[in-house]
Amino acid sequence: MILQGAEVYFFWALALIALMSGLFTVLARSAVHSAICLMMTLIAVAGLFLLMQAEFVMGVQILVYVGGVMVLFLFVIMLVNVREERLDKARLFSRQWLGAVVLAGALAVTFSYAIRTSDPYRTLQPEQRPNTPPTTLERNPQGATPISKNAQEVGMALYQQGALPFEIASVLLLVAIIGSVLLARTPRQERLSDQEQETP
Amino acid sequence: MISLVAPALALLWQVGQQTQAAPTASTGAQGLFDLAPTTTKFLILSSLLFIIGVGGVLARRNIIVIFMSIELILNAANINFIAFTRHWQMIGKISEHTGELFTIFIITVAAAEAAIGLGIVVSLYRNRETVAVDEIDLLKW
Repeated sequence: MILQGAEVYFFWALALIALMSGLFTVLARSAVHSAICLMMTLIAVAGLFLLMQAEFVMGVQILVYVGGVMVLFLFVIMLVNVREERLDKARLFSRQWLGAVVLAGALAVTFSYAIRTSDPYRTLQPEQRPNTPPTTLERNPQGATPISKNAQEVGMALYQQGALPFEIASVLLLVAIIGSVLLARTPRQERLSDQEQETP
Repeated sequence: MISLVAPALALLWQVGQQTQAAPTASTGAQGLFDLAPTTTKFLILSSLLFIIGVGGVLARRNIIVIFMSIELILNAANINFIAFTRHWQMIGKISEHTGELFTIFIITVAAAEAAIGLGIVVSLYRNRETVAVDEIDLLKW
């Protein structure tokens, strides 16, 4: 029981929104509709993060995913002509859809077996099982609002335990920037840069 | 559409069977229609999102939608990480934030992957005039 009170209703609402719009992401005919549905999924998942008191990750999810990655997706959909998919004649799925369904069913069986055999609440002794959540909220001395220390604690963990991956991530992002710039050049730009290299 | 929903229903049914058969004396009242969201419910949610994403990756033709399905898969993993972090916090390790670190790095890698992948899509469209994956078969045996 990691949620309590009215959080339960929010959990079911957000889970339903995430699942349904995830399904529509896969099934929508137009790529723009897929992107909008995926945005709804991401926002619902961000709400789930908030329910689990991971406020910092919720902010990162909204800012990076919904504000950054999805806008990139929409721009590319705009650049790439996907008008063909809106016609009812165009095939939506590739020929291997049957194999995809079989693999998804196999995954479902595997996951249900894994969840069944490793239910974390059944591996706990009854005295270990939490009844009331340990609160991480502290009263703000300046005001009445309780403030969460989640962002501070995640920041401490990020720069202590995760300092090396943090630096590696910066290199990864640099590679991504350079790679996407190089990949998205037009042939004319490529020719121009080649000529510049030949004539110093 | 039904073919994609069917595995999800099978999963729900199996888990429901399991929770009804579980020894209810030690775990409290648990069943399929017990609405209390435990960590297991979060795992079921994330596995359903994962299955939807895998179905989209394997079955769709549009490469951009395939990328979006990959984002779904990564988000399913993120839900698992955050749920287990919360689980450990509830058990008593109040300063446990490793799962949130993993989530932040997953989001970083997803952003980099989206940038590179969409760059590839743009240059592919410029060369081949298509975004359907079964028409991009130059390297196929």
